[in-house]
Amino acid sequence: MQFHTKTERRHNRVLNTVALLITCAFLFPLYWMVVTSLKPEADIFLAHPSYFPEHIQWASYTSQLIGANNNILHSFVNSAIISVSTMVIATVLAIPAAYGLARFQTPWKKLFILLFLVTQMLPSSLILTPLFIEFKNLHILNTFWAPIFADATIGIPFSVMILRTYFISLPKELEDSAKIDGCNTFTTFLRIMLPIAIPGVVVAAVFSFLYAWGDLIYALTFISKPEMRPVTAGIYNFLGYQGISWNNIMAFGVVSVLPVILIFIFIQKYIVSGLTNGAVKG
Amino acid sequence: MRLSERFYSNVFILPALIYLLIMVGYPMFENLRLSLYNVDVMNIAGTPSFIGLSNYRALLHDDIFWKSTYNTLIYTVLCIVLQFIIGFVLALLFSQKFSLAERLRGLVMISWLMPITVTGLMFKFMFSLNGGILNEILMSLHLVHQPVEWLVNPSNSMWAVIIANTWIGVPFNMILITTGLTTIPKDVYESASIDGANAMDKFFRITLPLLKPAITSLLVLGFIYTFKVFDLIVIMTNGGPVNATEMMSTFSYKLSFVEYKFSEGATVANVLFIILFLVSLGYLKLVSKEEVM
Repeated sequence: MQFHTKTERRHNRVLNTVALLITCAFLFPLYWMVVTSLKPEADIFLAHPSYFPEHIQWASYTSQLIGANNNILHSFVNSAIISVSTMVIATVLAIPAAYGLARFQTPWKKLFILLFLVTQMLPSSLILTPLFIEFKNLHILNTFWAPIFADATIGIPFSVMILRTYFISLPKELEDSAKIDGCNTFTTFLRIMLPIAIPGVVVAAVFSFLYAWGDLIYALTFISKPEMRPVTAGIYNFLGYQGISWNNIMAFGVVSVLPVILIFIFIQKYIVSGLTNGAVKG
Repeated sequence: MRLSERFYSNVFILPALIYLLIMVGYPMFENLRLSLYNVDVMNIAGTPSFIGLSNYRALLHDDIFWKSTYNTLIYTVLCIVLQFIIGFVLALLFSQKFSLAERLRGLVMISWLMPITVTGLMFKFMFSLNGGILNEILMSLHLVHQPVEWLVNPSNSMWAVIIANTWIGVPFNMILITTGLTTIPKDVYESASIDGANAMDKFFRITLPLLKPAITSLLVLGFIYTFKVFDLIVIMTNGGPVNATEMMSTFSYKLSFVEYKFSEGATVANVLFIILFLVSLGYLKLVSKEEVM
């Protein structure tokens, strides 16, 4: 963006400052989480806590890296296993469904779209107990499959809805010319349409990942072994048996937010456009 | 329609649909069935008996159920109003022309993407009486004279969870309103200026009316997603103190997984679902009029 006149430049400077101040105030909770994780326990409960960590300590991180059952590293790996698997299942199922709903006319199309839309709006407490019983009968309670299968129920409808709008926006001529060149419906989809839809697929996949990464309740209900808990359930349990040692909890929090920040840095603009296309909130 | 087209559409759509039928459709049906029986921890393995709508009738006389319904409604409405107003103001700011606009607007999105568990704990700590930074800030600004018991006092705890959820929801409102704002053509404002309209006129006569479709669907979606709140409450207050922040979802969960009254928990969840379903139907009617289908 270029600002030519003097008034424009001043205008720009004022708005930048105001926006910067507001953003800093808005993100203060995140800053406070990081600062707390670096403070020694005694400094946290001072009558007037300091805004900067005066004695930086890494013990909140290091002591938990190697702890017995509930250590950060272990939980992080568990979260990664659950979230990546959920992402794969949700994306693999959602891509063809979205393509089908975007490209083919079927008598049930409206009903199907409605079903996907309504699924997004369901409260987790509605299916929690029956899923618990279902998983118990399938003997997959206390395996990673239980939260993975449950988390995918959020990722699939969401991905279908964003990807459908994405596929609709792609030019139909591409498909027609692929057909003329001898592709059948499957090869057109795999070789022509899927590669162009990659930005949409990335957004859908990232959202499925983030939903699963943030899930607390399915993991807590379906997994009772401490060593299998993901980060969210790990931090939650910390609240219970540690008294409240905020620096340790916040260290756990910082670590669990890292993937979010990384994802955010790399695909920020896709996320914003995907969000406005799908217009859905988890 | 050609037969091959029908075949292909089935091959593409059915796997996802079957998955959702097994993992969502069947559980929903089971939940309905569960609410008509008297399943609890004693008879879950045996033969529970069919009791019809008794569970639903019992809810009518359950004070905590009414309290949780009231709480859920208050929480939802206040969250939506606050998120919307703050989101709107930020959207107006960030849709101005300045060099850091897009970068800073994106940065605000982080609060929406974070795991709610972490956000909940972060706020729980900031609101706490011991070492809580919020009271420290309020007192140093002389806004309050003694520490506020945010989470311990039943009359404040609802505000604490509303403030935390507003923080989470602002970016979603901001982004959708910003997108709406960019679709309004510039020359509408220019011709209004020529006709002598001031900033207030433009906002109320042009911006708001043209944003109306975007705003309506934003508010309805906000309602649906806020009404089923669960994680944030479980972490920050667990429904307390003395049910001050008990929501329908947390009440349902407690009945099922703390008291092991599975049928009663299922009943509350179904009532929650019916409310959400009615609102969703309204929403679908709204969007199908615009385009979506």
